[in-house]
Amino acid sequence: MKPVLHTEDLTVAFGGVKACNGISLDVYEGELLGLIGPNGAGKTTFINAVTGFVPWSGEVQFDGSSLKGLPPHRIAHRGLSRTWQSLELFGDISVRANLEVAATKLTPMMAIRDYFGSSERVAERVDETLAVLEMEDIVDERPDDLSMGYRKLVGVARALVAQTKLVLLDEPAAGLDRNETTWLAERLRQVIDFGISVLLVDHDMGLVLNVSDRIHVIDFGKTIAIGSPSEIRDNEAVIGAYLGAGGGDE
Amino acid sequence: METYLQFMLLGLGSGVIFAGLALGLVLTYRASGVVNFAHGAIAMYSTYIFSSLVDDGQYPIPPLPNLLSMIEAVLGWFGIQVDLPDIPPFVQLGDPWSWPMALIGALATAGLLGFLFHYLVFRPLRYQPPLSKVVASVGLMLMLQAAIVVRFSNRPRNVAGLLPQDGVDVLGTTVPADRFYLLAAILVATALLYLVFQRTKFGIKTRAAAENEQFATLLGISADRIAAVNWILAGILAGLVGILAAPITGLNPLNMTLFIIPALGAALVARFQSFWIAVWVGLAIGAGQSLLQIMEIRLPWIPDINLSQGLPLVVIAVAMMARGQVLPSRGAIERGRLPMALPTRIRPRLMTFWILFAAAILIWAPFVWRQATINTLIGAVLALSLIVVTGFSGHISLAQLSLAGIAAFMLSSLATDAGWPFPLAPIFAALVATGFGIVIGVPALRVRGASLAIITLAAGVAIEVFLFKSDGWFAGDSTRHVADPSLFGIEFGPNSPFFFGDGKVPSPAFGLFVLFMFTLAFVAVIRLRQSMLGEQMLALRANERAAAAAGVNVTSIKLAAFGIASFLAGIGGTLTAYKFGTFNMASFGVLGSLSVFAFSYLGGIATVSGSLYAGSLFPESIGTLAFEKLFFPLGRYEAYLAGLFLIVTTLVQPEGIDVFDRRERRRIGWGFVLLWRKATGNPDRTKPDWVERIYPEPKHKKGMRPSPPATVDAATTHEDGGS
Ligand SMILES: Nc1ncnc2c1ncn2[C@@H]1O[C@H](COP(=O)(O)OP(=O)(O)OP(=O)(O)O)[C@@H](O)[C@H]1O
Ligand SMILES: [Mg+2]
Repeated sequence: MKPVLHTEDLTVAFGGVKACNGISLDVYEGELLGLIGPNGAGKTTFINAVTGFVPWSGEVQFDGSSLKGLPPHRIAHRGLSRTWQSLELFGDISVRANLEVAATKLTPMMAIRDYFGSSERVAERVDETLAVLEMEDIVDERPDDLSMGYRKLVGVARALVAQTKLVLLDEPAAGLDRNETTWLAERLRQVIDFGISVLLVDHDMGLVLNVSDRIHVIDFGKTIAIGSPSEIRDNEAVIGAYLGAGGGDE
Repeated sequence: METYLQFMLLGLGSGVIFAGLALGLVLTYRASGVVNFAHGAIAMYSTYIFSSLVDDGQYPIPPLPNLLSMIEAVLGWFGIQVDLPDIPPFVQLGDPWSWPMALIGALATAGLLGFLFHYLVFRPLRYQPPLSKVVASVGLMLMLQAAIVVRFSNRPRNVAGLLPQDGVDVLGTTVPADRFYLLAAILVATALLYLVFQRTKFGIKTRAAAENEQFATLLGISADRIAAVNWILAGILAGLVGILAAPITGLNPLNMTLFIIPALGAALVARFQSFWIAVWVGLAIGAGQSLLQIMEIRLPWIPDINLSQGLPLVVIAVAMMARGQVLPSRGAIERGRLPMALPTRIRPRLMTFWILFAAAILIWAPFVWRQATINTLIGAVLALSLIVVTGFSGHISLAQLSLAGIAAFMLSSLATDAGWPFPLAPIFAALVATGFGIVIGVPALRVRGASLAIITLAAGVAIEVFLFKSDGWFAGDSTRHVADPSLFGIEFGPNSPFFFGDGKVPSPAFGLFVLFMFTLAFVAVIRLRQSMLGEQMLALRANERAAAAAGVNVTSIKLAAFGIASFLAGIGGTLTAYKFGTFNMASFGVLGSLSVFAFSYLGGIATVSGSLYAGSLFPESIGTLAFEKLFFPLGRYEAYLAGLFLIVTTLVQPEGIDVFDRRERRRIGWGFVLLWRKATGNPDRTKPDWVERIYPEPKHKKGMRPSPPATVDAATTHEDGGS
């Protein structure tokens, strides 16, 4: 199998601190890769780097071509999308508009045609995504008015609605209760069935161990283990890292 | 050489004001994260107080809405003439005061203003987005400025000098001694502040609160009380430099208020953090301006284009380009929201009705009403421009009227001087404004919020001094003729003949033309709100980085917003020019830009229908005319009230009048339906469609929504607080 995302020696430095220190990671097509590590390990920074929000050194290849120097929106247009730890929804436009924005690659010509009412909208794809995530009844609400569970869902939906090949999820289960998490896990497996690859960052070990095909563990910006969920569960280094950090498993 | 040195030293006079104001800006920013655009206005206000106390022993009472005059007016409708007491404009406090007493009185006022700003305005707004804070401080600036105009008129005022003026010889030139006293005063003040912030508990607490407000609160530091003290200090400092330097810089309600711009430049270079940098840069701007002035006169190779006035803009632009987002964040919580961007629907029948109604007024109503309607519609076009750039894309632009002015000027050049035919000349004029607008939008690619407000304000001033006022370039003379528009031999300018009506100016033909242009702009912006472009603007407004991650090309969308808005502003400018038949730079000043911003925000900055309310707030519009006919003439009170209501709006109803009106219409309308059903014994509780159309109420209060389907419990326990 070939990797859809391939990073080599990815390094991100904030002043003297190296939040990511030479991470080499592969996400294969159709795979759900878990990325875990204690607080401050550099997981969010990894996602920020790959999606073009912080400068990095090393190499990042997505779908066979390098992402070096691309601005975030161009990376998104290539089919790499993400969610945010802190949600970052468009809180004051409707859920449908949230998805429409993400689903369109707006070119100037298209903007003009759409303005004069003659372009086909992306409604179909939006409806499809809404159906998969069973959220049709909230399309007209504004995310600001929704519960945490639904807001998380809108974030995931927004990342999936673009013609996505790989989605990077930053703690989608944080703030969800048991039932919601279980429900989310089912949806994630469903997403894989649609041929989308997933990189899942979460502190909910139960969730990550359950749904991941493979797990990549980092600490202090460095890879400390890669393996199947059962291997990771018993890995000394991983247990050490989590104990050392005071336990990140909540 | 001596002359250059002399002029630099002379320039320290205004440099000290810039430095003192910059110090205050740094203080209040560090204490509460607010960039106070009204800081220069505090200096101006207290200097007037000082002068009034010293000259006449009078203390001006700020203009207050007098309910009694309302009663007078209402009784007047029924032919009853009564004379209820007015609020006196001044209190007489004995003989003219001695200067130390007057100084104390004025500085007390300045400190009180600082405190009130904090306590009544910025503290309640502390969790609101930067947009609200900028709007509120612009409101304060307008209000203080207008309060002084109401009490003392626009005329320059002589202020008694406190500092000795005798010449001092420095390096072969003579400079009045006051410059050196001022310099010493500001340096001592800075040193004191610096020591207080480095050495005392109070200073350490302020710094802690500035670094991270939440954390400081955990340490038991009352960020609030600390902020109040800093605001008072900043106010007093502003008053002091204002009073001491006024004899040098001269005093009128506008000049000292606008000293805020160089001060903002200095504070920006200091990243709103360092007292010393702020002060040195402030002094340098003052000295530099004075130097440029003499160089313009002395050196033939320097063009006479008011270069000195442009210096602050250059400082601001360089600071921003060099540093990007210069305002450091404060780790503060933000849970306020932006004005809701409710869509406006195109409802053909309703719109046809209103258009016919407006047309009827334009044709048959007495000419004052015709004129008021025209003013309203032109104002609404200008408001539409701000709705696009600020309401939709979330960028504050305080230069929209200056852009309108550019189009107006271009129109007079093209249509009158170059003889271009009708639709071409105004369209091209508006396109020139669009070009300028996009250039002004370029900084928006790097900065937003208060920083953007600063640079657009400075750009507005630059347009005024470079393009409109300077001799060499655009204007030359300040008024230029604009020929009436005509197409296929039909004229529709303000002086054109028309079949009906009283034949007075402005002609109904012109009114219909303005109505046509407004309708076009109105529908175009409604359509923008519905289009994908508009949705992307709103996404950008809500969250820039999330928008980028969702594939929104942030750069293009921002520039598109600025471009479209500037085109609309340009159309508004050409209509204004046609209305007057001249290009008159006085109608496109900076204060005008601020007022247009205020009216637009008040009317409803994020809803297209808000533009009509905004239009009705402009001077001599339908709204103001109706108010004046019913109650009392507004005159100079108009700007004052606009500022006041702007502040109130940010505090209680950020959506402005439009959404307020929609919500009330929904409430009252639906209430009547329920009453009617009750009376007729109809148990139906379903809401008719129009209820939701007018104002869609959130169906579920936050957190009350059921969770995703598979769950048993609602996710209420996971709410992240807030309301
Ligand atoms: N913009 C930044 N500037 C400076 N340091 C940063 C920045 N962003 C992150 N860091 C630092 O980089 C390190 C990694 O942070 P990151 O947010 O990637 O961790 P994380 O693994 O996502 O942690 P968590 O599980 O808490 O979300 C931390 O030490 C953090 O303080
Ligand atoms: Mg993280």
